[in-house]
Amino acid sequence: MLKKTLLSAAAFAALTSTANAQAACPIKVGVLHSLSGSMAISETTLRDVMQMLVAEQNAKGGVLGCELEAVVVDPASDWPLFAELTRQLLTVDEVDVIFGAWTSVSRKALLPVLEELNGLFFYPVQYEGQESSRNVFYTGAAPNQQAIPAVDYFIDELGVESFALLGTDYVYPRTTNAILESYLLSKGIAAEDIFVNYTPFGHADWSTIVSDVVNLGAGGKQVGVISTINGDANVGFYTELAAQGVSAADIPVVAFSVGEEELSGLDTSRLVGHLAAWNYFMSADTPENEAFITAWHEFIGDTDRVTNDPMEAHYIGFNMWVNAVEAAGTTDVDAVREAMWGQEFPNLTGGMAVMNANHHLSKPVLIGEIRADGQFDIISQTPEVAGEAWSPFLSESANWTSDWQELECGMYDTATETCVQLTSNY
Amino acid sequence: MLRCLCAFALIWPLVFGPLMAQDQPDTTLQSVLQTLQNDVTNPSRSTVNDVLAALIAADAPNTVPFLLAWSDRNVVQRPSDGAFFFTQEADGNVTLIDIDTGAEVATVSTRDVTQIRPNAGVQREIGAALVAFELTHPEADRRIAALDSAARSPDPDQLPAIRAARAEEEVPAIAARMDRLIALLVARYDQDSATRVAAIDALRGDVSTPARSVLNQLLQTRAEFADSLPDDVNIARIKTLGEDMALTAAYDVLVAANLAPPAPGRNAIRDALRGNIVDGAVGGVPIHDLDNDASRIRAYQALEDAGTVPPLVTEADMADAVSQYVFFDTYLEPDATVTDAVRAAQSSTTTKVALFQFLSLSFDALSLASIFFLAAIGLAITFGVMRVINMAHGEFIMMGAYTGYVVQTIIPNYTASLAVALPLAFAVTFLAGVVMERLVIRHLYTRPLETLLATFGISIALQQLAKNIFGTQARPLTAPDWLAGAIQVNDLVSVAAVRVGIFVMAGMFLLLLLYILNRTRLGLEVRAVTQNPGMAASMGINPDRINMLTFGLGSGIAGVAGVAIGLVAQVTSEMGANYIVQSFMTVVVGGVGSVFGTLAGAALIGALQKGIEWFNPANTLAAQTFMVLFIILFIQFRPKGIVALKGRAAGD
Repeated sequence: MLKKTLLSAAAFAALTSTANAQAACPIKVGVLHSLSGSMAISETTLRDVMQMLVAEQNAKGGVLGCELEAVVVDPASDWPLFAELTRQLLTVDEVDVIFGAWTSVSRKALLPVLEELNGLFFYPVQYEGQESSRNVFYTGAAPNQQAIPAVDYFIDELGVESFALLGTDYVYPRTTNAILESYLLSKGIAAEDIFVNYTPFGHADWSTIVSDVVNLGAGGKQVGVISTINGDANVGFYTELAAQGVSAADIPVVAFSVGEEELSGLDTSRLVGHLAAWNYFMSADTPENEAFITAWHEFIGDTDRVTNDPMEAHYIGFNMWVNAVEAAGTTDVDAVREAMWGQEFPNLTGGMAVMNANHHLSKPVLIGEIRADGQFDIISQTPEVAGEAWSPFLSESANWTSDWQELECGMYDTATETCVQLTSNY
Repeated sequence: MLRCLCAFALIWPLVFGPLMAQDQPDTTLQSVLQTLQNDVTNPSRSTVNDVLAALIAADAPNTVPFLLAWSDRNVVQRPSDGAFFFTQEADGNVTLIDIDTGAEVATVSTRDVTQIRPNAGVQREIGAALVAFELTHPEADRRIAALDSAARSPDPDQLPAIRAARAEEEVPAIAARMDRLIALLVARYDQDSATRVAAIDALRGDVSTPARSVLNQLLQTRAEFADSLPDDVNIARIKTLGEDMALTAAYDVLVAANLAPPAPGRNAIRDALRGNIVDGAVGGVPIHDLDNDASRIRAYQALEDAGTVPPLVTEADMADAVSQYVFFDTYLEPDATVTDAVRAAQSSTTTKVALFQFLSLSFDALSLASIFFLAAIGLAITFGVMRVINMAHGEFIMMGAYTGYVVQTIIPNYTASLAVALPLAFAVTFLAGVVMERLVIRHLYTRPLETLLATFGISIALQQLAKNIFGTQARPLTAPDWLAGAIQVNDLVSVAAVRVGIFVMAGMFLLLLLYILNRTRLGLEVRAVTQNPGMAASMGINPDRINMLTFGLGSGIAGVAGVAIGLVAQVTSEMGANYIVQSFMTVVVGGVGSVFGTLAGAALIGALQKGIEWFNPANTLAAQTFMVLFIILFIQFRPKGIVALKGRAAGD
């Protein structure tokens, strides 16, 4: 019943907005990234990338014969403001698509508005999963595209048997660590070989925690650290590691939130050999990546600026959206959504990214070792892995799946064969 | 597998080395590598040992240099013919060097060849295979690296090679490390039980990580079960059901061994019921009654009696099945005398380990206390002496840290830049403090609430200013090399040198302040103004000037603290905000207006924080929360802090 109502509502919306969209030139692209406040440093770069991509597309003749116009707003790292500005973009500026957000909490804040107004949103950052909104395409990594392959690499290639899961105390590390803990247990790692610690944002006093980790080595097992430590706290953590003489050969650390941008604030000479897992590294040696980096340096006017994983996510997401709009022949949200399923676009690291029906990408997983120059040596690259919206390693979501194409549901319980809910207000 | 490899490796250079030098062998390294192409190009920890064995068995010249280059990621493959080359970087491009002849072949772009990047796990295996060759290398660094490799992948087959190298070793430090490694390997792997027990006894009371790790490894157990206790195994413990092992866990073990039927879960029961609906009823129970577990089980049992579904396993069934077996843990080490010796050695180590861990925690607490002291002492002066609540104190810390960062970008030598940064940070924040006092605080001396608001506003403004100038990305403040390492007492107790440096600095500032306050004219005047500004003014002291200097001094010390904190933590625009709360707590707990009070407050808070962290290592945030709770309680009982000023000095 609900599905039917929704469908007819969608069909109605499609009918009305198709007429609008085709008439409306220029096509508007909303950019919702914080340009001030604590997240500014990460998100400003993404605003710049979006402007570059829009300019490039316009140079190629725009989309559907229309110019593209970037509508940039500043949510100022203020989570409720993300919802506010989403409403403004969709109702006042009437944008056709929004690219934006970084933190999970900001995405959660804008979801209800987005679903209410049936907008189209591209989210470019690796996140904790456990979500699949009808209106969002997730171009960053889900846990199975970053965390799980990194743990597999630790177990298979480095022979790690004792794990320290260190994280900052908020939703992303807690959810990721919960998934990893149950994954490790399923891999036969004993519960006493998993050490978990959470620290506040900006934590500076790492000496005891690093000593605790070093002490795990007395158990006679190879120790490895999985770090979901976020932001500035990484500086103190890596400084303490170096000070206590912990080398990557003794205790390797793999980080999920440390990329080229973050390393630019660190003295990397003492971090050589520690690891990071992403879907993109700037050091990827492909013609596409070289062209992208050249274009980026030209656009930003500074050859010292680095590129990173969320930038690639926007690059893929934007190009997929352009292709989907061309395929649908309209910018109407529902038509574009349907054209998005199965969209393919080449990764900057080689291979093809594919948009799946659960609104997550299939992308390769890369593991890189930190080099002295702040870049990464790519030492492992998997074939494309399909992003999982729901983790099979958490009991609550073990039976859930997302498929907007066939099942028309983002939270579908395969055990009871019912759709749990359509909105993402969890 | 590795055994033959190592033995072979040992004799290889001795026997075949001279032979090869004389005449060309018929197998070139390139041809051997081509037979292993895929595993060389995509090395993995699981396949590398086969490659190493094959390479050493093939015994082509240049094998050792190739392994070193391979491990160092200096080998590339040309995709057109799959040939491998050594490489040399040549501005953006790479020069290919023939593996067999060492001749330069061509210079090509990096994209024309595939660089081979063995991961750390593979590098470790290659390092272990090279131990035998590298242990006798003329360069001491290479020998030490080889010893590290051998220690990381302990292997009994390396014993002869290490012993042989030990006989020739002349550097005492390296010889000592070799002896130690030999002792550990003997304890773990020697064939003779008595030798091992002797080696294990020697590890008694040894708190080093490798020694404890060997003991723990020897005590590794495996869970097993049998009809009755076997005599021929080394049993660690016998498990009592319900205490050491849950009934369902024990039953699951039997199911996994195919000794018992699996218990159907809720879903299996549901599916079975669903599949056996006959005329609106299952097993005689109408469907509308199947809304609770009891009736579902009744229906299932009816089906079970009819033989249509697998039997339901009740708790009694489980207990019955499990009672026929005995569950126990056995040591992987079959020799009981060895495990007894290990247990004895371990128990004598345990107390020592606990003691050293306590010591380590105490050092951490001292270090934290000294950082808190440095951060708070400036506040203690302004808050304690002048009764000004300066919310921008944290931003003076931040300002000092950024001063250090700017100096470091100008002066590349870290030691020199630190020597410049400390006084400069003092000067910059002294000036900032004086300016703030002159412009804002002077006008608000009698209105504490307005001071609080005004300084809070200034703190926000300063933060945003720092963001605009330096960006929000954390900036590095790198310690010079002599402060970069750690002072290592043993594997359990080590203190980062930079923390010791901060501790010393905190001590120096304590003495300096005591000297200024108690032994100088300025100190005398400060104390006079503190106790009674009106009387002090009538004695010819200018309270205005004293207030300004006091505020400058407090701010200046905050700047120096900023440089110190920047060395251990991160320099960001928000770093001050992280310390302002702790600083106020330190001052309030310690007792307002007293240098010794601040010292006591910092010591108490540092110790408390570490103590709570020790109880709850999983959540550092919780430790801070509990600490705040404790301080609230503490203030209830001692509102004036640990060191309360008495008499006239206490003012009102």
